[in-house]
Amino acid sequence: MKIIHKAQAGTMQSSDLMVFLEPAPQLRVEIDSTVKKQFEHLIRRQVESVLQRFSITSGVIRISDRGALDYAIAARLETGLLRACADERKSS
Amino acid sequence: MVVNLINERDRNLARQLVEESGFTFEEEYDLLFGKFEDGELVATAARDHNVFKMICIRESHRGGQCLGELVTALIDSCAYSDIRNFFIFTTLENRGAFAHLNFTPLVTHGKICLLEHGNGLASYLQQHSALKQAGNNGAVVVNCNPFTRGHRYLIEAAAAQVDHLYIFVVREDRSLFPFDVRMALVREGTADLNNVSVLDTSDYAVSQVTFPGYFLKQDDDRLQLQMEIDLLLFARQIAPFFGITHRFIGTEPFCRTTRSYSDTMPCILGPEGIQTIQLERKISGDAPISAFRVRKALRNEDYEALRKLVPAATLEFLRSADGRKLLTTSKNYRRRH
Repeated sequence: MKIIHKAQAGTMQSSDLMVFLEPAPQLRVEIDSTVKKQFEHLIRRQVESVLQRFSITSGVIRISDRGALDYAIAARLETGLLRACADERKSS
Repeated sequence: MVVNLINERDRNLARQLVEESGFTFEEEYDLLFGKFEDGELVATAARDHNVFKMICIRESHRGGQCLGELVTALIDSCAYSDIRNFFIFTTLENRGAFAHLNFTPLVTHGKICLLEHGNGLASYLQQHSALKQAGNNGAVVVNCNPFTRGHRYLIEAAAAQVDHLYIFVVREDRSLFPFDVRMALVREGTADLNNVSVLDTSDYAVSQVTFPGYFLKQDDDRLQLQMEIDLLLFARQIAPFFGITHRFIGTEPFCRTTRSYSDTMPCILGPEGIQTIQLERKISGDAPISAFRVRKALRNEDYEALRKLVPAATLEFLRSADGRKLLTTSKNYRRRH
């Protein structure tokens, strides 16, 4: 799938995260987190796994994390991707 | 649940909460949110363009969900706009609460702190890292609405005094000439200079990241503080990245605010190790050249005057189809800058 427009998902509540996606020529993942020093590598791994599943090869993905667990990261990112990749002309 | 406060009753409740928290309720905002519980307003927050302000939570509800809910609502309200970076000005004690929401401090000035969500500043600098050069470097921050012979003169004089000159063009689109046009004219007008780089300011200089005054005391000068924070941001974050040690500015004949800004500059930049150099504006006829004069000549379709005030590339644009379209808009443009 391809990110074709800007989208976001999630909340800034404790244990949740917000994801911001926008189209771009290259793929870039930016992570901001209250537990960045301890867990950035794990968050990144989870994000990359979801991106691979969706075959995303370009776009900017920004994560603002507040201590979310891996399933929450996956859920919010999937929602964000579905919104960003959706062809708006097709929606009813 | 967080809701948009629209009617008078709700806005008054917000005003009461803000005032009870010891702040002043400011009427300038794009959106005002509130959280109700059992019919009572327990928290409120507002957004003015990309600045979040008047975030007040009742004592009884602090340390809970309110802040996260409010900030989510504020950020979500920008989902369909171009706003990507969000700013908060707050007092030092509250810095920690926002750090938990991934707001990074950009500048601390006395009791006030400017924070940003989204790491926009780091991205902005990183995007321009190819422009970094060693040496004795200078900077000018210009709007160029449009690029005039006066700008050219200032830039040439500045570039001659340093190894490399960075020309920061104000990104905000509040000018008659759209940013893309202003930028293109600056690039064309300085293409022959081999020691200059042209880049935009993004949200980080002379921008609408307007300082909200709601938590200031009566005698604090809001405009003055805004200038100081703008200059400190330049001195502490932008200048060190590019190795800038000199900032150039032209003399300001008319605008009191700009003159005030120029006066403040050496006071703030000096202690940070940056020298301020003021250059006299180029004269044409009996007065200094300014973009204001150019826009006036444009309104009057005085192309003879324009030829003397702007360089070739700018003149060519003014005579083009796009330029002539702006001529019509210019007749209604009443701003000083």
